[in-house]
Amino acid sequence: MDASTRAAARSVIGSRIRDRRRSLRMTQAALATRVGISASYLNLIEANKRSIGGGLLKRIGDALELPLESLDGAAERRLLDDLDEIAGAPMLASLPLAGSASDLAARHGAWAHALVFLHRAWRDRDRAVNALSNRLSQDPFLGDAVHRMLTRVAAIRSAAEILGATDDLEPDEQRRFAQIASVESERLSDVAHALAAFFDKDVSDAHPRTPIEEVDDFLLDRGNHFPALESVADDLRAACGDASERALADYLRRVENVAIGYRRASAGTLFEYDAQGRKLVMDETLPAPTRRFELARLAADLFRQGARLSAEMDASPQLRSAAARRRARRVLSSYVAGAVLFPYADFREAAVASRYDIEHLVRRFDASFEQVCHRLTTLQRPGAEGIPFGLMRVDAAGYVTKRLPLPRLLLPRYGNACPIWALYAAFQTPGEIVRQIAEFPTGDRFLFVACAVDKVRPAYAMPRRLMSVMLACDVLHADRTIYGEGLRLASAAKAVPVGSNCRLCVRNDCAYREEDPIVGA
Amino acid sequence: MSTRVLIVEDEPNIVESLSFLLNRGGFEVASTGDGEAALAALRSQPARVMILDLMLPKANGFEVLKAVRTDPALAGVRVLILTAKGQASDRHRAEAIGVDAFMTKPFSNREIMSEVRRLAEG
Repeated sequence: MDASTRAAARSVIGSRIRDRRRSLRMTQAALATRVGISASYLNLIEANKRSIGGGLLKRIGDALELPLESLDGAAERRLLDDLDEIAGAPMLASLPLAGSASDLAARHGAWAHALVFLHRAWRDRDRAVNALSNRLSQDPFLGDAVHRMLTRVAAIRSAAEILGATDDLEPDEQRRFAQIASVESERLSDVAHALAAFFDKDVSDAHPRTPIEEVDDFLLDRGNHFPALESVADDLRAACGDASERALADYLRRVENVAIGYRRASAGTLFEYDAQGRKLVMDETLPAPTRRFELARLAADLFRQGARLSAEMDASPQLRSAAARRRARRVLSSYVAGAVLFPYADFREAAVASRYDIEHLVRRFDASFEQVCHRLTTLQRPGAEGIPFGLMRVDAAGYVTKRLPLPRLLLPRYGNACPIWALYAAFQTPGEIVRQIAEFPTGDRFLFVACAVDKVRPAYAMPRRLMSVMLACDVLHADRTIYGEGLRLASAAKAVPVGSNCRLCVRNDCAYREEDPIVGA
Repeated sequence: MSTRVLIVEDEPNIVESLSFLLNRGGFEVASTGDGEAALAALRSQPARVMILDLMLPKANGFEVLKAVRTDPALAGVRVLILTAKGQASDRHRAEAIGVDAFMTKPFSNREIMSEVRRLAEG
C-alpha cells in the first residue's frame, strides 16, 4: 500500500469515528473525556489530521461500541484496494476515477461495497461464460456426438439410395439394406437423445469481446501472415541499406529525424520513445538483438507515416475498438520489425535446412530466442510455407503475455493453461529447451517446444526476470523438426495427457487438477 | 482387368453399401477397418483409388495419407478422403499433405461414384 492509500485509509477512520459518535448523539467533549484525551485532539482525529492506533483506537472503539477491525482501517484498506482495481479496469479507462476511491468509501461505504460485489459477480460471470463457450467448442463429447451422427446419417443415406435407385435388387439384398437403414436410424436416435441431454445441462451465450480478443481473432483470421507487410519490410530494409543496428539507427536519424540516445543503466524503463519530441532513449546495456528489434520496430511504425499498418487494420472488420486498434498497431509494427531483421526467404530457408533448430537460427540471425520463435509463426507465404506454429509466452506468475493460437489448439487468454504443459516445465531449467508430445482429450496431439529465457532485470536487487516461450505445432509436422527426433510420433504411441486448462478439462482423475471443471464437476 | 478400390473405413454398414455400389460399377473392391492394415494392404497389392476415413483405429487417416505420400512405391494411388470431420481445418490439413478429393459424410451415392470414376480414370 502506498502513502496516498494509507492516507486514504486514515481519512476513512476519522470520518468513521465522527459518523458513529454523531449517530450515538454523543458530543465530542463527552467522547474525549471517556477515552482520556482533549476535545481538540479528538477534533483533529475526526478531521483526519492525526493518525491513531493501539490503545487509544481500542478505547475509542469500545466507547463507540465498534469492533476494532472496522475502525483500524483493515476493512477499508481492502475496500480501497478493490475500488482501485475496479477503477483500473480497461472498460472504465475513459472515466476520471483515479484518486476518488477514498472519497466514495468514506462518504458512501455501502455503495462502495455494492460496487465491489457487483464487479466481482460480473467478473465471475464473465469467466464462466468464456469458459463455457470455450468448453463447447472444445468439448470431446460434442465433437464425438456430431461425428457419430454424421456417420450414422451417411450409412442411412447410402442404404436408402441403394434401395430407391436400384431396380434389380435381389430380395435378400433388399432386406439387407432395409435392415441397415433401420439399425442405423435407431443408433442415430440414441446419439440425438444423448445430445439433447447434454444441452439440457449446458447453457452458453455469445461471449463478450475485449480488445485482446479482437486482436487475437484478427491474427487468427489472417493466419499471422501479412504479405503486404512483408513487402513493407523489404522496402524498409532497402531504405536502411541493411538491417544492422547502425544502419537502422542512421536511417531513423536521417530519414525520420529521430534523435537517438543511449543511457547508463538507471532506475526506470529500458527503452523510451517520446513521439512529440522525436526522441528515443535506450539503456546501453540492453542485449544487442533487443536494441536492434526496438529500432526496427520504431522505424516500421514511422515508415511512410505507418500508412500500410493502418491499411491492414482498416481492412479488418474485427478491430472495432480504439484499444484494439492501438494493440493491433503495436503487433503489426513488431511484425514488420521481425520481417526486416529476418527476411522471409532467407529465414525460411535456414529454418527448413536446420530442421527448425531455434538455437541455430538464434546464432545465424543474431537474434533472441523469442524473436526467432515469433518469426517462425509467420512463415505462411502461399507456396513457401513453413510449419504452422502457435506461440505462447508466460511469466513466472503464469500471466499470459503473448499468444498466437492454432486452429485446433486453444491457448488461454487469461490465467493458466494446463500445468502439465512444457511451457511451465521450462521454468525448472532456464535456458534449456524442453519438448513434449501433448495429447488433448479430443485426441489432438501437438509438439510443444519451450524455453524459459532471461529478460533484462531492472536492478540487482530485483528478482531474475524469466519468461517461458513455447512453440506448438501439429504432431504431424514434428518429424520435420529436430525436436521430433527420438520421440515416438505415431498416434498409437503414448503421449503426455494434457488439457487446455483445468476449468475446461474433462480429465477428472488428473493429479495436477487445481480447479473443478466448469461442466461435469 | 478391373480397377481396384480400397475402402478404409471402420463402419461396417458404410463399407457394405460402398462395396455394393463399387462392385456394381465394375470395380474390384477391398476394404480394411484400420490405418495400419490399410498401409499393409496397399503395399501388398496397390489400389488405384483409396477411399479413406479420417477417424480410424491404430493410425488415423492423416497418418495414412502422409505415409502414402512419402512412399515412392505408392505414388500412383489416388486418395479420396471421406469423413464426418468436415471442418475447414481438416480439409486444409489434408490438402497440405496431398489429397486428390475430399468428401464429407453424409455423401450421395451418385456423387461418390462419379468422384471415384474421375479419380480412377484421371
